[in-house]
Amino acid sequence: MNNAISYTDPSIFCYAILAVALPLFAALINFCLPVKSKAAGWISTLAILVGCVLSAMVFAAVWNQQPQHVQTLWFTIGTTKVFAGILLNNLSVMMLLLVSLIALPVHIYSTAYMKHDDRYSRYFTYLSFFCFSMLGLVVVDSLVLFYAFWELVGFSSYLLIGFWFTKDKAVQANKKAFIMNRIGDIGLLSAIIIIFAKFHTFDIATLFINDNLVFKSVIHDGLWISASGQIPAVWQYVACIGVFMAVAAKSAQFPLHTWLPDAMEGPTSVSALIHAATMVAAGVFLLGRVYPLFTDSELTILGVIGCFTAFMAATIALTQNDLKRVLAYSTISQLGYMILAMGVGAYGSSLFHLATHAFFKCLLFLVAGVVIHEMQHIKEENNLDIDPQNIQYMGGLRKKLPVTFIAAVVGSLALIGIPLTSGYLSKDGILIQAFEWSEGRSAWLKLIPAGALFTSWLTAFYVSRLIVKVFFGEFRLLKKHPEIKLHISDGGWQYRVPLILLAICSLFPLFSLNPFFYEKAWLFESLKPAEFMARENIYHTIIPIGVNILSVFVMYAAYAIYVKRNTFSFPQTGFLYRLSYNQWYLDKIYRKAIVKPILGLGKTCFWFDRNVIDGLIHLIERSSRMVAALTAWSDKHIVDGFLHLMAALVQSIGNFARKFQNGKVQYYLYSMLLIVLILFVLKILI
Amino acid sequence: MNLLTLLIFIPVLFALVIVLLPSSQRGSFKYITLLATLLQLGISIYIYLNFKTGAASAGINHEDQFQFVQKLPWIGLNLGSMGKLQIDYFVGIDGISVTLLVMSALVMVVATLASWEIKSNLKGFFLLFLLLDMAVMGVFCALDFFLFYLFYELMLLPLYFLIGMWGGVRREYAAIKFFLYTLFGSVFMLLVMVGLYLSVNDPATGSHTFNIIQMMNPANYTSGSVFSAAAHQTILGMPARTVGFVVLFIAFAIKVPIVPLHTWLPDAHVEAPTPVSIILAGVLLKIGGYGIIRICLGIFPEIASSGAFWLGLIGVVSILYGACNALAQRDLKRLIAYSSVSHMGFVLLGIASQTAEGVSGAVMQMVSHGFLSSMLFFLVGVVYNRVHDRDIYHFRGLGTQMPQYTAFVMVAFFASLGLPGFSAFVAEAFTLAGTFKSPTVNGLLPYWMAICGSVGILLGAAYFLWTLQRMFFGKVSLKGGEVWKIALTDVSIREKLALIPMAAAALALGLMPSLVFGKINDSVLALIQFLQAK
Amino acid sequence: MITLTDFLLVGALLFCTGIYMIVSKRNSIQVLIGIELMLNAAILNLVAFGKYDKLNNGGQVFALFAIVLAAATTAVALAIILNVYRRYKTIDPDEIKNLRD
Repeated sequence: MNNAISYTDPSIFCYAILAVALPLFAALINFCLPVKSKAAGWISTLAILVGCVLSAMVFAAVWNQQPQHVQTLWFTIGTTKVFAGILLNNLSVMMLLLVSLIALPVHIYSTAYMKHDDRYSRYFTYLSFFCFSMLGLVVVDSLVLFYAFWELVGFSSYLLIGFWFTKDKAVQANKKAFIMNRIGDIGLLSAIIIIFAKFHTFDIATLFINDNLVFKSVIHDGLWISASGQIPAVWQYVACIGVFMAVAAKSAQFPLHTWLPDAMEGPTSVSALIHAATMVAAGVFLLGRVYPLFTDSELTILGVIGCFTAFMAATIALTQNDLKRVLAYSTISQLGYMILAMGVGAYGSSLFHLATHAFFKCLLFLVAGVVIHEMQHIKEENNLDIDPQNIQYMGGLRKKLPVTFIAAVVGSLALIGIPLTSGYLSKDGILIQAFEWSEGRSAWLKLIPAGALFTSWLTAFYVSRLIVKVFFGEFRLLKKHPEIKLHISDGGWQYRVPLILLAICSLFPLFSLNPFFYEKAWLFESLKPAEFMARENIYHTIIPIGVNILSVFVMYAAYAIYVKRNTFSFPQTGFLYRLSYNQWYLDKIYRKAIVKPILGLGKTCFWFDRNVIDGLIHLIERSSRMVAALTAWSDKHIVDGFLHLMAALVQSIGNFARKFQNGKVQYYLYSMLLIVLILFVLKILI
Repeated sequence: MNLLTLLIFIPVLFALVIVLLPSSQRGSFKYITLLATLLQLGISIYIYLNFKTGAASAGINHEDQFQFVQKLPWIGLNLGSMGKLQIDYFVGIDGISVTLLVMSALVMVVATLASWEIKSNLKGFFLLFLLLDMAVMGVFCALDFFLFYLFYELMLLPLYFLIGMWGGVRREYAAIKFFLYTLFGSVFMLLVMVGLYLSVNDPATGSHTFNIIQMMNPANYTSGSVFSAAAHQTILGMPARTVGFVVLFIAFAIKVPIVPLHTWLPDAHVEAPTPVSIILAGVLLKIGGYGIIRICLGIFPEIASSGAFWLGLIGVVSILYGACNALAQRDLKRLIAYSSVSHMGFVLLGIASQTAEGVSGAVMQMVSHGFLSSMLFFLVGVVYNRVHDRDIYHFRGLGTQMPQYTAFVMVAFFASLGLPGFSAFVAEAFTLAGTFKSPTVNGLLPYWMAICGSVGILLGAAYFLWTLQRMFFGKVSLKGGEVWKIALTDVSIREKLALIPMAAAALALGLMPSLVFGKINDSVLALIQFLQAK
Repeated sequence: MITLTDFLLVGALLFCTGIYMIVSKRNSIQVLIGIELMLNAAILNLVAFGKYDKLNNGGQVFALFAIVLAAATTAVALAIILNVYRRYKTIDPDEIKNLRD
């Protein structure tokens, strides 16, 4: 099964395996430490630091080279051999490096952020475990292992969302997250099973890369045909739906996105790493892995959903007041862009956006963490009853938190996609390719690029609103409670270094020497599809200019509205406002339309079990008891009665006979005579 | 001395010791029992390690391929014109049984450790316990139908008393329900067994035989006999072999249990004391699955194929129905009981698929469920012992109160709901894979069954996570207030000793499924081949 | 002329009288007399039928034989009655039920 390896340097695999396994070891060590041990943080950080270096070495060795693949027999089931191994190609080494690169600043940040927590070492156990799962996910070569790590990622996210498990909201959020992810997992499992039944292998390299079995299969005449046999074509669609469900659950796409905003109940550093940068990108990564599975029309559907999600999440982000929620919805929206890009065939751009987004969104979350941390500090110091995440109370923090402010501005400019940032490069790539793709397609598909364009202006608005409300104007909490004392600052180096590091990574130089042309980015160039269109049409010029000019206007508008007017917010009326503020009522709909009926079904089943099935059993029991009673009665009265009757009969016959035996001679004679006479009479008569 | 015989009868030896000891020594009974089960575990591991694999030792329908065989003539009556009554003491194992043996032995050890909570009538309890232990081991090893039946019925008696005497409030109800359900199945099984006996001739001796392996060979059936495939006999207008299959299937299906023959299970579990719950869930249910593979599929392969759709359907219904029921429970033990119904549905589904993946997955699921359900019931017992309550709504925030306990619960719950890395994931995933492969390989099951089965995994997550959230997370709030707070101490060393091997076993099987698959693979392949050849 | 029928009629009359006496009388002596009457009825019949055996006069011979026997049985019967009376102090046959089981 080892195939297509042009050159093999075994040390590459050792490095990759080590990079994956180190966080696991760290997690195991931390698990054994006492819960408050401060050593845990450094153990985890060290593990991820070494892992990061190793990842970089692996990246350097494999990037733009032949895919590297090594595997070993894991187990045999029937005649199927299941292999375990690692597959290193451009996609996986990029993710490997990206994840460890993002995880490193988050770890450093966490050592300070979680400093006062009672279960400090647990936190790092979970965090390291997450890193292990995520790194494992990106390098494994078999769909079974992929699924395994896919779920472990969800599991570690469950642990981290519910890290403060005494908070009811947190545990409800982690339950919701896990169950929604489970829906996706079921889809992925079904897809894997279908692929296995069809191609008899779990090997990603064989399926999608080297032999590309999936790509070579065709749908013809209602059947899905390849060299390994055929099954009804409908199962190809089911497999795609399954993969889509998995993507939608993990990457928070409509309709399975509602867990992500709730997941913000976890520690902010966790949100930064897991629910912004890495885990949620796993869905996009999965799409990248199984891309050949999708047919053209299925990709279109994917694009539509991505576009819709991007738009919907952006509209919701407009009105949210919770700092982390805004960022969460913006994450959903950006993930929508990535899915959209996959759908329109902009494979390279999608992954490029994944990489850039990871940096700037992680940065924004860490910024949010600092802000929330300081607000919490104020709250505790002054015994206020406020929500430290509510942006209504913030304002004017740029003077108090200068480093944080600069990082926030860099991050948000990247998120909006202003030139000189990485976000500009990747997002404009997506927009341009979406417009190119819609050329020559039916008119309503033009809505996809149009929607994406519109969403990017919405993004500009809500991001500006956020930044303006948090950092500009005056401190609204102070206005409300003038007596409070403020002792806030950017915090120690564990806060500053990650912020600065990530802010630098959010600018263009990391990705391209040319700050304006996305197709010159080295990352994109290596991932782009072979038939990529060169810069030849008008979109390449018009779109970046149009988007950015309007974005700047929008940003100014936001600044004008929120700083100049400096009111708490817009008038909160109108249907559209409520729709946005209540997150399109999806949570309520789900609760009413899905959760309740399922619980009802459970109750009905139990009722059925108790009353119908058990009722039947009891009925059988009762009826057999009745039969028994009946037989007992008949035994007593009929069977015994017959016996008694016989006895009585015999007795009466005897009694009758003994009357002739009364000892009186005359009587005997008399009877004799009588009998003789009767005989005579009979003789005569007959 | 044959190892299997030793394995089966060790409990009896120790039971004799307990009988002879005076009641004043009652404190030692549990240690004696523990010694017996540990010895058994040691032997079973030795057997496992020395179990030969390879196509030449696949077993199934080749008597010479079974291992650790002991065959002694037992009852041999000359009945004159009716021939010779031939009943052998015939034990042996192949790949299907060996993993189940090890699993059962480990579960027995844990059940013994859980028996520490038993306070009354210790002599009776441990005697019955050891008797049950013997019967269970015997069932997995017996290759003579009569012997099998004997052990099979022998399990019933101790269980009835164990539930009926040491159980909860409604123990009599539960015990009788359990007893009648199982008896209902096994009585008809007896009839079929006799019918098979009269139909099958041992080619070596020429007399009728109870040998299960001989029963698998169609050539051994006398022409015109009831169960001869060529004779097309009917019983009540239905083909005799179909009737035979259905009757045996029902007998085993009650044990599995399948919907709608499952309602004894929640009651029995809820009322049974913890060690008995552990044995019930860990071992007894597996006997149903094992019986279906060894006997129903082995003796009536062609009916198993033609009825595969219905088997699969029952499996799917059990998965979904059990899971839905579990969603509605507020008694923790009942919830786990229903989850057992759901998980055992996978076993049936896998068996019905008759693919290598499906059957291997089914056996894996049996082993895995053996460990996990024992662990779950043990964990319920921990809380129940301390406060005599297991209503989910009466607890909250146990995570703060009993952190180690909660960690074990989380391991058990997540392993049960199929988290990769634990055995249940491998088992369920491959069961479903086999099910989905079935239409293309042998055309027995429709495609949709696998998809429906996977929904069960989702529901599993729902009820386990709900329980975790409701009972273990949040702020501490207990119905019993301070009294409970004092009573609810974290897990003791004995409890850890019982829980850790289970968790470790589930983890080991999840990481290295070859521990099971390696041993069963040849047997499963032989079984599939046998089923295809019919 | 007196025909055979007349003799037989008289015999039958005697016999019936005898039977009547046997079953109805409350005195054993009277019963015994009834028996004698029945015997004599039989003897009368023997003599009447004797006309068919004129050579040997078998009828008359049998009659004589029967008379002698009757005398003997009567003697025995009277002796029994005497004994019965001695034992039961009564000769009413209804009172003597020792034949009963």
